[in-house]
Amino acid sequence: MASSAVAERPKKMTTSVPTTRPTSRSPETPQTPAVAGEVSHVAAEGFHVLYGGRPAVKSVTMNIPPGRVTAIIGPSGCGKSTFLRAINRMNDLIPGCTVQGRLALDGQDLYVPQLDVVALRRKVGMVFQKPNPFPKSIFDNVAYGPRIHGISSRTHLSEIVEQSLSRAGLWDEVKDRQHDNALRLSGGQQQRLCIARALAVDPEVLLMDEPASALDPRSTARVEELIDELSGQYTIIIVTHNMQQAARVSELTAFFYEGELIEFGPTKEIFTKPRQEKTEAYITGRFG
Amino acid sequence: MHLRTRKIIDRSATGIGILAIVVMTAALVVLLAPIFANGTGAFVFRGTAEFRKYQSDRFDRGDREVLTTEKETLRQVRQPVYDLLHKFEHQLKNDDDLDARFGAEFPKLKREVYRLIGPPPGEALSRLERDEYGATRWDRALVQADSIVHVQEDRGLDSHGFSLKVEGPRAARYKGTSLEPMFGYVEMHLAELLRPQWTFYPQFLIDNPQDANFFGGIGPAVLGTIYLTLGAILFAVPMGVITAIYLVEYAGQGRFISLLRTCISTLAGVPSIVFGLFGLAFFINTIHVSPSKSVLAGSLTLGLLILPTIIRASEEALRAVPLAYKEAALSLGAGQWRTILTVILPAALPGILTGIIISMGRAAGETAPIIFTAAVSVGLGVKPWEVFTSPTQALSWNIYNVSTEHEAVDQIRHVQYGMVLTLVVLVLALNLTAVLLRARITRRLSG
Amino acid sequence: MTAFGQTSGKISIRRQGGSLVLGQRADRLRHAVALLGRLILLAIASSSALAVLFIFYFIIRDAIPFFHDNGLREFFTSTHWYPSNAAAPEFGALAIFYGTGMVTVGAIVVAVPLGVAAAVCLSDVLPFSVRQWVKPTVEILAAIPSVVYGFFALVVFAPLLQDKGGQALSVATWLLFGPLAALAILVVADVSCGRLRERFRNPARAAVMILLTLAALAGLWKLSAALAAIHISSGTNALNASIILGVMALPTIVSVSEDALTAAGRELREGSYALGATRAETILSVIIPAASSGIMAAVILGIMRAIGETMVVLMASGNAAQIPQPWYNFLSPVRTMTATIVSDMGEADQTTGSSRYHVLFAMALCLLVVSFLANLASEWVVRRTVAKISAVRGTGGGDAASRPQGFMRRVWSWIGG
Repeated sequence: MASSAVAERPKKMTTSVPTTRPTSRSPETPQTPAVAGEVSHVAAEGFHVLYGGRPAVKSVTMNIPPGRVTAIIGPSGCGKSTFLRAINRMNDLIPGCTVQGRLALDGQDLYVPQLDVVALRRKVGMVFQKPNPFPKSIFDNVAYGPRIHGISSRTHLSEIVEQSLSRAGLWDEVKDRQHDNALRLSGGQQQRLCIARALAVDPEVLLMDEPASALDPRSTARVEELIDELSGQYTIIIVTHNMQQAARVSELTAFFYEGELIEFGPTKEIFTKPRQEKTEAYITGRFG
Repeated sequence: MHLRTRKIIDRSATGIGILAIVVMTAALVVLLAPIFANGTGAFVFRGTAEFRKYQSDRFDRGDREVLTTEKETLRQVRQPVYDLLHKFEHQLKNDDDLDARFGAEFPKLKREVYRLIGPPPGEALSRLERDEYGATRWDRALVQADSIVHVQEDRGLDSHGFSLKVEGPRAARYKGTSLEPMFGYVEMHLAELLRPQWTFYPQFLIDNPQDANFFGGIGPAVLGTIYLTLGAILFAVPMGVITAIYLVEYAGQGRFISLLRTCISTLAGVPSIVFGLFGLAFFINTIHVSPSKSVLAGSLTLGLLILPTIIRASEEALRAVPLAYKEAALSLGAGQWRTILTVILPAALPGILTGIIISMGRAAGETAPIIFTAAVSVGLGVKPWEVFTSPTQALSWNIYNVSTEHEAVDQIRHVQYGMVLTLVVLVLALNLTAVLLRARITRRLSG
Repeated sequence: MTAFGQTSGKISIRRQGGSLVLGQRADRLRHAVALLGRLILLAIASSSALAVLFIFYFIIRDAIPFFHDNGLREFFTSTHWYPSNAAAPEFGALAIFYGTGMVTVGAIVVAVPLGVAAAVCLSDVLPFSVRQWVKPTVEILAAIPSVVYGFFALVVFAPLLQDKGGQALSVATWLLFGPLAALAILVVADVSCGRLRERFRNPARAAVMILLTLAALAGLWKLSAALAAIHISSGTNALNASIILGVMALPTIVSVSEDALTAAGRELREGSYALGATRAETILSVIIPAASSGIMAAVILGIMRAIGETMVVLMASGNAAQIPQPWYNFLSPVRTMTATIVSDMGEADQTTGSSRYHVLFAMALCLLVVSFLANLASEWVVRRTVAKISAVRGTGGGDAASRPQGFMRRVWSWIGG
């Protein structure tokens, strides 16, 4: 049913943020009372991602509010990472990947042909599952983004680097060895460096794709603390397979299953009284 | 089959395998041992007084005062030899009987003696430098002295039908003549006549060859090899790396790409001599990059030869760059080109460099492609601004030339071996660099 | 819209309210620049393809006048090669083709058994630590320039063959056939007596072994005596060139075969060992058949290296344009196509345009065609290997797909030698 609705839908949509939900929805259509009255920062509406014709994300409709931490949970292969990577169009890298429906940032459809992907990615930073610092110095890693956006003054750059590293809570640890190779840092430090690198271009939205899954418990705790510190300043969307982590760091939680958004609401509600049976089953550990 | 037999077969199979490895290693040792053993002789050897004199005359090397003293000492030691020769020559003129016996042989003998200890001042046999100086190397001097003191005599044919030669003392032939004492004198006082000293001659690498490689070094050939190698790299690296970037970053799996790949592998399989002919027919005879052979034409030909290697090495290095780097750069808002230039290429650089260095080794050692496009066997070092028009010597071609087409291949073995050693060391050093670089990459990627 | 995104620090490069959508002109410009960049890249990338076409074109262009003037018949059927005879030049290249074939066959006979045995040893026998030391040996053998091999053949190996050729051959015979004969005797004795009753088995086997040993010793003795009596008149001959070319082709064969053997996979080996096979049986009956196309590719690449090699044959083969008498006489000097091109071009250079010049291009064309066909054949064989390995591994997943591909790339990297 949902797919037929999508099939009829033309690629290009209106540019206004929808205020009413479409009526023809499957029973699992999420209700999002927590965000009903708020402005949405990232808005998806009947959004599909297909890999060579096979849908990985199916008809997702959700409004992610600004300045909050939103967690996306779900079993592996549920499309949560694919959805996340659609927001800064990282899926463009994958051959045969197409989208249908609408995904908007600040009301601007992200899949119009004239879209400036570079400008988009500057507004939407991303932290990846495995720490992926460049094989350059710590300084050059953080300065990479500002440099490509045209900042060349050394003093300006070092101010940005210091500020970003401080925000990522790494400044005190590395200030004396900024010119060491970033690959010499520990895994946890590398991930915080990647966060600092993303912060250095001063994005509005920060996408985090299981940022702590490759880290040890202490580094994980440090990264979670950091997410907490950053909330309010950035719209943070974090994908995680770790439900405790979602419960600890997020204000809102979305549950994805088999490419569909099952439920989206305040984290507390999702974890204490989920509306959908599947959500409850997942949270209580019956599958996944 | 018996279990014991099966086990024996098993062990023998292992044995055959290990034997093959041993044979291969032995082949390498057998190949390199004489090259290293004899090649060092071009740089470190027992140089005679003639060598020092030549170096002083030609290159103004050595302490003049010492040399003047040595010259005086030598004059005194050598004078008896010259005197005996002159005396005998005088007798020959006046004695028909003696002339009949030695008239044909004596001029040759005199020439050999002069080639051993040098002619007396003002009496060079010809204008060739090899006739103005004696033996410069002690090892050659011993051979030369032997050919004076001893003589080969024909004794008919041996059982296989080959002529049989027997060595005998030449003094016996001259028994009773005034020259007889000379042979004993030369044999007894050889060291005083030539005063051999251990000599280190690193300038072998930069000196110009003199008198058809009889003296001097291999400078122009070394220089030419460097020019040709660098030229090939200059031409092939940009093309190869860009092609690799295209293959990795843009190309999908289309028909055009598979055609391109087939072309590249065909190019890799073209015999090197065909490259040489192509270089002659295309670069020189068709588009006239230079009026005739030149460093430029040779470099272009060699560049084409190493292009497939560079493409493949670069492609592999580019593919080995983790996708995560690319993702990180793109997520920060870098465009495709900026990502390639600032992240992917730097990360792939060690791998690309390895490929380049190995190709340099190949370009330095190749002979066939430059025979018709760049290489000549004589000439001085090419100046940097002459590379577009001037042909050059090159180690690889000159090794062939001085060991096959030279008029006295036996007398300049040290030059041949020195050239071979230089080339082998150059190529092995390049390969060693590549191996070390590769080890560093592996280490970096693993930790 | 971005009012919420207040920055806490003083530094910010955030462009407030910057539009994500490009104007029409900017968008067109962006596309045009991207297309232009792509086209430039494509042009440079295709120039290597163009180079191949150019090589074919220019070699064919200069070869055609020869065939036009002289026809095909003499070139391919006559053995009289006198291009420098001004009055009546003769261009019969048959002996030269024969010489090329002869040294190539000789090189393959030297290199293939040795190379495959070494590759098996590297992939299945030697421990990792030893392999680390053997691999550089292979790489150094591959890196040494051909003119150095040629110099060795001319200055060291040829005099040795000439002076002590007979003795060297007979010693080599003993070293090579002695162990092989011993092994054969063992196997034959065991197989022939395996069916006998237990009581007779051991004595019978001993008897068979003694008999065979005596026969083998006698045969070897006779062979080596015959070889020792040979007097080699010239050290630069087909044998010399074959041996040195064989050593040169060795690294190619070892590396490509080893890759093929390794690509056969651990599962196959474990399957065979689990059935109680020894290592030799596993290698001979499972691994080598599985890797046979890869080994075939190795042999083709080795042949290509031997055919295309110039300096070694120029310096070691003796350069006599004749078919040896008798035809299998490896001790007589021969001449190859590559060597002919080098040694005749020196004189033909001044006579650009004459048949003497064009005949060398005709010869180069033959070389080019042979190497092109060999190249296609090796690629085809490698593709088949990849298909075969993928089939063997079946549901191996990502690993199965990536490994043969890596193998193919490494084979390609060896084609250049």
